[in-house]
Amino acid sequence: MTHYAMVIDLNTCVGCNACMAACALENQTPVWKGEWRTHVHDKEIGLREDVHRRFFPRLCNHCDNPPCMSVCPTGATYKLPNGIVKVDADLCMGCLACAMACPYDARIEVTYADVRQGRDFYGSDYRRTSPSADKCTFCDHLVAVGRKPACVDTCVGSARMFGDLDDSSDPVAQMVASGVARPLLPHLGTRPNVYYIDDLKRRG
Amino acid sequence: MDVTMTYHTQDIWTWWLALYLYFGGMGAAVLVVSFLTDMYIKPYPRLVLWGALSGIVMLSLGSMMLFGHLLHHVAVIHVLNPLILLRKPDAWIAWGTQFIVWMMVWGFLYAVPHIKDTKIAHRWQLTRKVWAWGTVVWLHDNCGRYAKLIGWLATINGIGVAVYTGLLLQSFPAVALWHNPGVPLLFTVSAFSTALAFLLVVLNLFNHWHEDQALRHFYERMDLILISAELVILFSFYQYMESGSESAVHSWVLLWGNMGWVIGFIGFGLVVPFMVELRGVLKGWSTRVPIVTASLLVLMGGYMLRYYFMYGGVYAYPW
Repeated sequence: MTHYAMVIDLNTCVGCNACMAACALENQTPVWKGEWRTHVHDKEIGLREDVHRRFFPRLCNHCDNPPCMSVCPTGATYKLPNGIVKVDADLCMGCLACAMACPYDARIEVTYADVRQGRDFYGSDYRRTSPSADKCTFCDHLVAVGRKPACVDTCVGSARMFGDLDDSSDPVAQMVASGVARPLLPHLGTRPNVYYIDDLKRRG
Repeated sequence: MDVTMTYHTQDIWTWWLALYLYFGGMGAAVLVVSFLTDMYIKPYPRLVLWGALSGIVMLSLGSMMLFGHLLHHVAVIHVLNPLILLRKPDAWIAWGTQFIVWMMVWGFLYAVPHIKDTKIAHRWQLTRKVWAWGTVVWLHDNCGRYAKLIGWLATINGIGVAVYTGLLLQSFPAVALWHNPGVPLLFTVSAFSTALAFLLVVLNLFNHWHEDQALRHFYERMDLILISAELVILFSFYQYMESGSESAVHSWVLLWGNMGWVIGFIGFGLVVPFMVELRGVLKGWSTRVPIVTASLLVLMGGYMLRYYFMYGGVYAYPW
């Protein structure tokens, strides 16, 4: 059985935001209002000459126990057998309970106005027809044809790695199994499938 | 200080969601209290009519708040279908929507026999004709015959709505202020306290009859107990948040450092009405003004509780 996961190495993310741009174009997100399915935060850590800038990419964690799915009143949020959490925009009424439940701030609002603006912004290829509480899908349409998610494909520092946790020969599975890559907020019981390799230990 | 964390409150569910929770909980509890009073304390058609009408209006107002803020209004049809509970038994909004819808249905049906006895029901020729229709006669007769069953169905749904308003917030695991078993308890107690306050206003201002004095005193005593329970629960929240997780501690700072919460809600929304009602229960008041004032303060406090709860929830993000 396939169990998709992503590992993000904070040591090699240079904050170029190419992942955000690639994702936006691939998934037609409402970037005109600053809403992205994946976002790279940056933060200055340290004092005086020891300050460094940390880039922190984040996205939906495709949890094994997703709170956004359990609170969804219409069943619009669902999980594929391969672990990818998706939204059926036709079923979604946009109550945003999922956004409230998500500990990773991974939901974005797509309104009626965004659907209209999307037609102008993305042109005739625009696919969205109804508003919804949108989210990352690990680009499952690309994964289905053997490609990687757009953000992984475009990452210049190879900070993002995508793989199958159930394949013991997959580098992603090995990094997770070794404990080098760790999930965010594991104590919440969401069992996320996006793992991070810490940069602060190396930087001291 | 953890430099790798950032702390955020949310701007997704704000004052309007607080209104949804407030009107939902209070509206349901108003129906429950007025129907239980009619069934077990004394038959009281006017109270039933007031309770049913105001409860349904409150539930509708609250629901409109949520509906108005949906991103995709047409898709609400999925959650209005009762079969949604088979597909999504783990979603509290699905339960809450069904509780609210059926609460209004049973609430209306319980009031039907009493509506016929009002003057307004026979004022116009059209309404007199409607009451003579076969279906309406059948409905009227059966609602009267099965009044207790309908009353209990309304009561069960009403309690469901009141508890649901807390369970909804409890289902969000990232925020310590919300994700704990105290929230449904607090919101349920508050819902019934505000409902009693609302009915005390009705009984003192619009239905002030001498024979209801005992009922008013009973409501005052019940409200006093509920306010006491609310204060105890809030004290527990204070302790839980003060030494809790990062999310809880930040919520603690936001709430207990806010004069609106401390003085507005706890002071004027709970402590002052408690003192006024306690004086009323122990020694009585010579006028209606203190009890009406205390009730209005409880009503204000009920909304403030939910308002500050929505704004006080803190997400602790690890970036």
